Amino acid sequence: MPLNLEQTKRKTGISLTPLIDVVFILLLFFMLTSSFVPWRIVDTPLAIASSPTKDVTPLERVVFTLESNDGYVLFENKTVAIDNQHQMSEWVKQNKDALVVIHAKEGVTLQSLMTLADQLKKLGAAHVSIANAFSSMEPK
Amino acid sequence: MNIGKKFIEQRDASGDDNMIPMINVVFLMLVFFMVAGQIQKSDPIKVQPPVSINEKRAQTDPNVLIVVGVDAVYVNDRLLKIEEIQTALEQTFEHSVDKENFWVQIKADGSVTIDSLKPIFAEIRKSGLTKVSIATQLSRAAQ
Repeated sequence: MPLNLEQTKRKTGISLTPLIDVVFILLLFFMLTSSFVPWRIVDTPLAIASSPTKDVTPLERVVFTLESNDGYVLFENKTVAIDNQHQMSEWVKQNKDALVVIHAKEGVTLQSLMTLADQLKKLGAAHVSIANAFSSMEPK
Repeated sequence: MNIGKKFIEQRDASGDDNMIPMINVVFLMLVFFMVAGQIQKSDPIKVQPPVSINEKRAQTDPNVLIVVGVDAVYVNDRLLKIEEIQTALEQTFEHSVDKENFWVQIKADGSVTIDSLKPIFAEIRKSGLTKVSIATQLSRAAQ
């Protein structure tokens, strides 16, 4: 009886072409749906006016005013560039324990507000509040 | 020539063998995208949140996501008018399970003015919610 020895030599296993089809589809899916944006959040807690905390003494407030998006900030009737580290750090040092409130005038963008808040934090301001900028009430 | 013949025979016999290095690379890319990337639901409109040095990450997913474009506001993917935000927030809060940790995330474009955000904050305040966060990004993402 003739033996069919050739059959044993044939390669067994999955063919690579369908495998790579599937892998490419998976790769495309993950490439298109993946997001690499480093998302972060800034808390802007909304204070409830009717329930003031009595046991905590309120911090002294200093107001930095953004008048436009030109990179300048108004503080104590003096306009200074946000990048001016010397003047800005002096102001921050003077008001180290105060609550720094940022007030934005009409037309100021969110990016400008964040840039100023970042600069103040970088220079060592401990209490920076951006939540007040979104309040409809004028700062006192 | 003998060598050339042998080479052609080998090539014809096992064409799949040349694909193995390619599959290695493709698998490597696949693993990279699976591990490093995050699959997220895309926003109803494309927004570029402001760049900030702030490092805080969200611990949980926001209960309500408000996407603020230059002239449109989407609350949980629904295009709403400013006046409708309060009702939408109150309804979502009513149906939420964990009311203690209920928080609202505002994903606004960096070029949006503060004035256009004020009415949105006023609506959130009216709905009685206090936990609000603004989305920022560490560096400017590719356009």
